[in-house]
Amino acid sequence: MVRSIAHKEFLSTLRDRRFLVLSLLVLALLLAATLVGRRGYVALQAERAVAQETVNEQFHHQPGRHPYRVAHYGTFAFRPRAALSFLDNGLDSFTGAVVYLEAHQQNSVNFSPAQQAGSLIRFGELTVAFVLQTLVPLLLIFLCFGAFTEEREAGTLRLLLSQGVTLRQVAWGKIAGYSWAAVLVVAPALGLASILLLSGEATASSPDRWARLALFGLGYAVYFFVIIVGAVVVSARASQSRAALVTLLGCWMLGCLILPKATANLGAGLFPAITKAQLDAAVHEEAQHGINGHDPQDRRAAALKAGLLKKYGVTEEKDLPVSVAGVTMAEGEAYSSRVYQQHFADLTRTYERQNALSTWASLLNPYQAIRPLSMGLAGSDFAHYVHFQQAAEAYRYQLVQHLNGLQASMGYGDKERRLDASTWRAIPVFTYQAPPLGWALPQLALPALALLAWALGLSWLGMRLVDRSTTG
Amino acid sequence: MSYILEAKDLRKQYPDKLALKNLNLQLSPGEVFCLLGQNGAGKSTTINLFLGFIAPTAGAAYLGGLEVARHPLEIKKLLAYIPENVLLYPHLTGLENLALLSGLAGFKYRESELRDYLTQAGLPPEAAQRRVSTYSKGMRQKVGIASAVAKRAQVLLLDEPTSGLDPKASNEFSELLRLLSGQGTAVFMATHDIFRAKEVGTRVGIMREGELVDVRPTAALNANELEQLYLTHMQ
Repeated sequence: MVRSIAHKEFLSTLRDRRFLVLSLLVLALLLAATLVGRRGYVALQAERAVAQETVNEQFHHQPGRHPYRVAHYGTFAFRPRAALSFLDNGLDSFTGAVVYLEAHQQNSVNFSPAQQAGSLIRFGELTVAFVLQTLVPLLLIFLCFGAFTEEREAGTLRLLLSQGVTLRQVAWGKIAGYSWAAVLVVAPALGLASILLLSGEATASSPDRWARLALFGLGYAVYFFVIIVGAVVVSARASQSRAALVTLLGCWMLGCLILPKATANLGAGLFPAITKAQLDAAVHEEAQHGINGHDPQDRRAAALKAGLLKKYGVTEEKDLPVSVAGVTMAEGEAYSSRVYQQHFADLTRTYERQNALSTWASLLNPYQAIRPLSMGLAGSDFAHYVHFQQAAEAYRYQLVQHLNGLQASMGYGDKERRLDASTWRAIPVFTYQAPPLGWALPQLALPALALLAWALGLSWLGMRLVDRSTTG
Repeated sequence: MSYILEAKDLRKQYPDKLALKNLNLQLSPGEVFCLLGQNGAGKSTTINLFLGFIAPTAGAAYLGGLEVARHPLEIKKLLAYIPENVLLYPHLTGLENLALLSGLAGFKYRESELRDYLTQAGLPPEAAQRRVSTYSKGMRQKVGIASAVAKRAQVLLLDEPTSGLDPKASNEFSELLRLLSGQGTAVFMATHDIFRAKEVGTRVGIMREGELVDVRPTAALNANELEQLYLTHMQ
């Protein structure tokens, strides 16, 4: 029975010119967003790869220098875009793409696409995720709002029920029929995304990306199911098609526009984050309590020097096998880095608290469940961004300490000498390995469970409401 | 004697109105009962009670010996319902509509069988493949009758079925009812059409303000007498 009604609904939908026009429009937008997104991804990825290669080459081809100069010459870490970020670029437009790595200084990741784009980017971009999260639900609302009301108005609901069908069976049949129609609109875009991924570099052999794409598709399938069930239930309870449409459009505005902004503002209000300047000032102030490698008169530096003299059993600095300046630099770097890590962790926790408020709101709003899930699976959420930042900082620390170590090993009078150019070529360059799906999943558990809870809860409650609906 | 349709003290009380007052009625297989009455007399309420779409305040409706309120799904296997305006699904063809309705009733037919049902109901063969949105009201009624036959319904519940039909279509509809009645199908028809009631009915009932005030065999009356009886009760 459910299958018969689903088949009827599917056929009727396909033959409905209004749906045809709207769905073709949405499909065109989805395909365009997929192609444009992929093109942008490929261009940015190539740009960043070339830039990373260039700075790596420049680093390796430095002339014979003192390691201290090399540490301040520094290098850059470019953030490669995640393979699926062309479907959902998440925070990528607003988070930076490149970080300058140098001694003593933990720089922020700069040059976000938004920084370099016009002000129109503030209105949002046409991405696959935007179409899937915002426009497809609108299409589904227009498709489903008359599910029951139109049948009631036309008298066909009584005809159906007189065949021995229950209201619940009618509802499930309609949900199945509309779901097939939704698949027709969305599947080509995801199919195209799969082809583009398949043709992408090293993607075909990456099960992690395929698993992410599969979960991405599954997540949206559950999201659309929630929208369809909700719309059918509202239609079953509404007295007229117009009332059902107005109710559903109100829900769409609340879910897709008002609640996300309200929770983001509430999060920022409840957990205010410090600015980059405040972070730098706080780190700088606290770092003052540590050793200052640049000041030979620093009391702690003097103590370190005394310790070294004692350790090596000599009385003069010139007799030491290590450079005091190099060891002092390493100590200072270790201290300032610990300070930075602590402040950075505090700031990250603040952002995470802000985000958590929005994520918990997923229990109230399915849009706020699919958004973090989609970003997380696409590798463009805050957690993936922080992962890159930490990887870049870990590399910076390792590099600087390696250079400090080289300086220390040069012994007394190191400042008058240089190390051979081949020394720099032996230093490994920055390579970033994006985290695997297994790393991302625990962080996506809440929105994923919220979405499932919506699907199950709405089905359970919705069907009870449908049972109590009038036949008209 | 077992009746295919029966009402025992069937009553429906709304907060502001008594819609049906203790209806007692029995129909045997093959009988055509025509219920006459003004708008709001309780005809549609009676049909809705037999369909199980509304619950009685008191009494019970039975179809095939099953109490409607207790067996809402089982009784629907026995009946076919044709409203005043069979709208069907405009984006589907006549064949697709019939396949849907008979499928929901648990009957899976081949396309040729569905065509046969539509043809028997009087639908022109070339119309079966057309979308129902292009059908006249009479053609849609024929699809409704075809679905009743395909469903092998033992009882037809008709709510003003000939209203708005042209005389030819109305006549064809009456012929179909006579045919079905001859095959043992009981027909319960709410109508305003006194002439049609006399023509196809075996019994006629007159309902006024929720009460069945008179029941007569149609053979005992001519059309004029029936009209006079009706008008007398309506005064």
